[in-house]
Amino acid sequence: MDSFTQRRRRDLILAAILAVIAACVPVFVKDVYVQNIMVLTLMYAALSQAWNILGGYCGQISLGHALYFGLGAYTTALLFTKFGVLPWFGMLGGGVLSALIALALGYPTFRLRGHYFVIATIVIAEIGLLLFHNWDYAGAALGIDIPVRGDSWAKFQFARSKLPFYYFALVFCCVAWFITWWLEDSRWGYWWRAVKDNPDAAESLGVVVFNSKMGAAAVSAFLTAVGGSFYALFVSYIDPESTMTFQFSLLMALPAVLGGIGTLWGPVLGAVILIPMTELTRSFIGGSGRGVDLILYGAVIVLISLARPDGLIGLFSRRPASKGVPQ
Amino acid sequence: MGLLYGLLAVGLALIFGLMDVTNFAHGEFLMLAMYLTFFLFAFWALDPLLSIPIVAAGMFIFGAVIYLLVIRFAMRAEANRGMVQIFATFGLAILMRGLAQFFFTPDYRSIPASMLGGKTISVFGVFLPVPQLVGALISIAAFGGLYFFMKKTDFGRALEATREDAGAVALVGIDKNKVFALGWGLGSALIGLAGGVMAIFFYVYPDVGASFALIAYVTVALGGFGSVFGAFAGGIIVGLVEATTAMILPPSLKSVGIYAVYLLVVFIRPRGLFGSI
Amino acid sequence: MSAPLLETPPLLETRGVWQRFGGLIANSDVSISVNAGEIVGLIGPNGAGKSTLFNLIAGARAPTQGSIWFDGKDVTRMPATRRCALGIARTFQVVKSFETMTVIDNVIVGALIRNEKMRDARRKAYEVLDFCGLAPRADKLARELIPSEKRRLEVARALATEPKLLMLDECLTGLTPLEAQSGVALVRKVRESGVSVLMVEHVMEIVMPLVDRAIVLNLGKKLVEGKPADVVRHPEVISAYLGDRHAVGA
Repeated sequence: MDSFTQRRRRDLILAAILAVIAACVPVFVKDVYVQNIMVLTLMYAALSQAWNILGGYCGQISLGHALYFGLGAYTTALLFTKFGVLPWFGMLGGGVLSALIALALGYPTFRLRGHYFVIATIVIAEIGLLLFHNWDYAGAALGIDIPVRGDSWAKFQFARSKLPFYYFALVFCCVAWFITWWLEDSRWGYWWRAVKDNPDAAESLGVVVFNSKMGAAAVSAFLTAVGGSFYALFVSYIDPESTMTFQFSLLMALPAVLGGIGTLWGPVLGAVILIPMTELTRSFIGGSGRGVDLILYGAVIVLISLARPDGLIGLFSRRPASKGVPQ
Repeated sequence: MGLLYGLLAVGLALIFGLMDVTNFAHGEFLMLAMYLTFFLFAFWALDPLLSIPIVAAGMFIFGAVIYLLVIRFAMRAEANRGMVQIFATFGLAILMRGLAQFFFTPDYRSIPASMLGGKTISVFGVFLPVPQLVGALISIAAFGGLYFFMKKTDFGRALEATREDAGAVALVGIDKNKVFALGWGLGSALIGLAGGVMAIFFYVYPDVGASFALIAYVTVALGGFGSVFGAFAGGIIVGLVEATTAMILPPSLKSVGIYAVYLLVVFIRPRGLFGSI
Repeated sequence: MSAPLLETPPLLETRGVWQRFGGLIANSDVSISVNAGEIVGLIGPNGAGKSTLFNLIAGARAPTQGSIWFDGKDVTRMPATRRCALGIARTFQVVKSFETMTVIDNVIVGALIRNEKMRDARRKAYEVLDFCGLAPRADKLARELIPSEKRRLEVARALATEPKLLMLDECLTGLTPLEAQSGVALVRKVRESGVSVLMVEHVMEIVMPLVDRAIVLNLGKKLVEGKPADVVRHPEVISAYLGDRHAVGA
């Protein structure tokens, strides 16, 4: 077996091992606060992985992904509170809706280059935020409160223990990772990277640039929306400020950028480092409201971006050994 | 107001057009400028109007320093250069906000009585607030000055040349770093001007940058990256659109108009109105 | 060396192609053809319109007037991606490799158009690399290659799309004599494998011994075409080049 396939296998095995370890952790860690952080870490890892598909592999930097997150959250919340639709379906619905909107938005925006595109994504998300802020049916600024009455897998609510959420987040993260892994060695993955590096050359080789961007956008939006739905159920309360802000969009991209944009493990690595650090500094130092946590946070971001622009994953990479002819 | 936005934007436009760098900490620079103005007032009772040049100068130095310390390294990244800048400056923004919170406390500050504050004058029967008016005049002056500077002076042309081809420029003896540092300084000084004026009639607090930053970016993008005039035009358009939207829609939605216009313009002209990048 | 004369229609044909850019006429009534199995050289002094024509055939834009036919189909309005699917592949004068991807990955992108499964694409890519002599460099990142290797990569990538016609844009320019020789050998090998070649070139000494037929453009018009030996001696061709160099007359 040649080393390329070896490397792919190795990634898969590593992921499996990590997943198993992560699954066992709650047995040892009972502290709810820590569990909370872990859930968030996993969620952000998954979200960042989803973002990475469009931003890292395909090279379309979107800083408006909070839109899809919010859409997912609101779709699930609205369907559940107003129509009693089970969250699982809401999740699916939110995902599909987001994917469709991503496709619709892709049409006018993918012709934009560089910074124009980025700003367009920001602006679109802001419009979404403002609209939801003023949409009374969806609770406007007050948001939606999801009533939790006891435990239920069907309704995906758990009043006493947060563990099921943890496991769901873990599965979600694994799924996002797996999709990325699978796509990496697929036509789409290659097309995306080609488009990112040199769209003209890609076209000369028969790659339809526009379609490949659309594909990436749809997958990315779908996954992000599912994350949003999860979040809605996890915290039982959503409002525009917590789900659709620009800050949040940046936060989804940050782990991927710091960990290694366009890489398989980058988002996970970034999330594992960034989220716990953020939460911990905020609780221990930020309480005074004197912004020390922000200072730390900001400084870390600046340092990492400057010192390791290709992401921290660079510390772990090995040059692939010579590939033999595939069997 | 539109002209003020234009002023805000031109500082950004300059830096971007110069080096293909978007400064995500732009809003925080503004915040700093406003705080400087405030403190000059609080400690030395210096009227904002008068302190504007001082603030501008101070920001100039600050901008140059930031370039030398931080941005220079951000430009070294080979791949993902755009992302590195975005996140490095974003980190910088958060850092500055944190520092502001730490040193200045999160309280809202304002300058109660200044030469221009709260006064209105009547122009052709319409009452206009004086501070904004003066701000607008300063904007126009600044734009004019900048335009002249870029086109006519040696330095202005060196800036443009360096943007075009940093490598070739070195052969002619132009120090890229020096040029960029000065460019950043200049851009920051412009923000300083804006900040000085805005401190007169806006509250000053650590997060004040965030609200204006996005408008600045949209303004620059609307006018087109790389074009000073574009930023100017963009500012005017944005100001007008915002005012019009405020009349039609509820106040919380006033920015929607601006965003919609941006999307419309960019859909028709993917490089903004006058953009060269 | 030249292909036997057959009654089959040419593989590639441009019929009365005009290209105007505003007031500038880059190509005027150009009709050329490439037969299956030929190596055709497209030459001419600077500003002759070679690149414009090349890009028109490749699919960068549709000509202002005229039509382009490939393999019996009218491709005049087809985008570059469709033309690639039909069998036209091209290289770029300024090499456009996928810098952050490895050499083999670069070629795989090309192979994907004909090979649905990754496995097949990878195999094909490796074959093509071997054919082009780049196999030892398969795992290097594209940006680590030296210029002549990058040119080879361009060719390899294009070949991976299994074209019927390979279009080379000044791929032999600026090489050392040794590199140019192996470049020529590669082009011959390509033809032997059944792919027709249309090459735009400047370096006469290298191109003339290689091509079956030469087409000379000047000032947007087709000047002359024929066997290299004849073309080179043609008085109008000589004056076109000399005139270009000495700026004598129109």
